[in-house]
Amino acid sequence: MSAHAEPHAPSGHHGPPIANQSSKVSASVLGMFLFIASEAMLFGAFFTAYFFVRVVNPEAQGWPLEPFHLPVFVAGVNTAVLVTSSFTMHWALQSVKRGNRAGLQAGLVLTLLMGSAFLVTQMLEYARIGFNPADGAFGTIFFGLTGLHGAHVFIGLTLLAVATVRAFRGHYTPEHHHGVEIPGIYWHFVDVMWIVVYATIYLL
Amino acid sequence: MPRNPLRSEAEAFRFVLLTVAYFALIVGAAALNTWFGLAVFLALTALALWRFFQRSTPEPPGPAPQGGGSA
Repeated sequence: MSAHAEPHAPSGHHGPPIANQSSKVSASVLGMFLFIASEAMLFGAFFTAYFFVRVVNPEAQGWPLEPFHLPVFVAGVNTAVLVTSSFTMHWALQSVKRGNRAGLQAGLVLTLLMGSAFLVTQMLEYARIGFNPADGAFGTIFFGLTGLHGAHVFIGLTLLAVATVRAFRGHYTPEHHHGVEIPGIYWHFVDVMWIVVYATIYLL
Repeated sequence: MPRNPLRSEAEAFRFVLLTVAYFALIVGAAALNTWFGLAVFLALTALALWRFFQRSTPEPPGPAPQGGGSA
């Protein structure tokens, strides 16, 4: 890498030159839109395959086809746990904005615990469900969709774990809590995706 | 420009609640009758899209371009 001389930056500015913004949309908003679009396409590909399997089985008397049986009740309880974790995440954010450190820590720990419970329950469900990804197109898509979501939950839990450790080290203040806000947004997004998956695969 | 529903944690949380309500209505309607469920899905989706694009707010003016660069 050569030591190339950049044009002079404004006085007092260090680091790379300020990027020129040619769009009316700010970079952060555009980035979030692109992220949502990429995730929608990723999940959309799986949903397309899922609906294709349903459409090519019009004679089916009920869904899923025999011999597949989905644990709707257990997954419903798991859904309630995940939705509740969104409430505790929101509580954590509201707490740090009010300067309530204990509320932030409790909210993050509860969210982490409920997210972990969701993931463990899903793994137990996989072990007892009675079919595997090799059992036809439905089995493949079921494990693909729920597994893809599970991977998102795992990433969310990792982000939350970092935020929780930092919260216990006193890193966040009412003015500076970006490190909680971003995992919070991601966690709510993961929650929304699960509601779509649960309603589509288990209920409809 | 439509507003990003994941702009902040508070808006994302509101989006979760709206998603729960959206699917609860669709699943409830579909349990009564499949075609009624489809009708509710279409109606709610149209309503959600209309609200999404209606709530557009003008973007605040960005910082003046530096170094005389043009858009």
